[in-house]
Amino acid sequence: MADPIQEEINKEVAAHKILIYGKGTKQMPMCGFTRETIQFFDKYGYPFELIDVLSQPAKREALAKMTNWPTLPKVFIDGQFYGDTDILDPMAAKGEIEPLLKKAFGK
Amino acid sequence: MITPDVLTEYVRKVMPDAAVTVMDRTGTMNHLKVVVVSAAFAGKNLLDRHRLVYQALDVPMKDGRIHALEITAQTTEEA
Repeated sequence: MADPIQEEINKEVAAHKILIYGKGTKQMPMCGFTRETIQFFDKYGYPFELIDVLSQPAKREALAKMTNWPTLPKVFIDGQFYGDTDILDPMAAKGEIEPLLKKAFGK
Repeated sequence: MITPDVLTEYVRKVMPDAAVTVMDRTGTMNHLKVVVVSAAFAGKNLLDRHRLVYQALDVPMKDGRIHALEITAQTTEEA
């Protein structure tokens, strides 16, 4: 029953403490929201991975189904889905991001 | 592009009490910031609140009338 795309996603989510599925690369984000998300995590100084799914419609579809979230970017922290900066910004304002990342990186 | 009235209609199909504010981020009326205030958000976390808004705007997002969307979802008490 293993769907290869879903398996690939599970592996990626498990491999990176902070993972962004977005459009483009860190050097050249192809979408304003992806850029905002990169800038968001740049502030914290923890390593994060950006996976470009701009040209992978099947993977985008699988991600949308899995998270019940239609848009990119999609952020996973420590294996859990956190939406995008619409969710992360209010969390940061409440001081919830720093402890979450500390815990994720075992600090 | 989509007008604020049409967008509001879509939201109210799912949340009839919703107060909707639409801001145009790019001057093209397809990169939007939308503030939705509704009692439907009570007891829901942010992810589920946003899922509700995405669900309401599924049609204009899929057909491209809305290209990018920034959401604020609040209950009446929070607004």
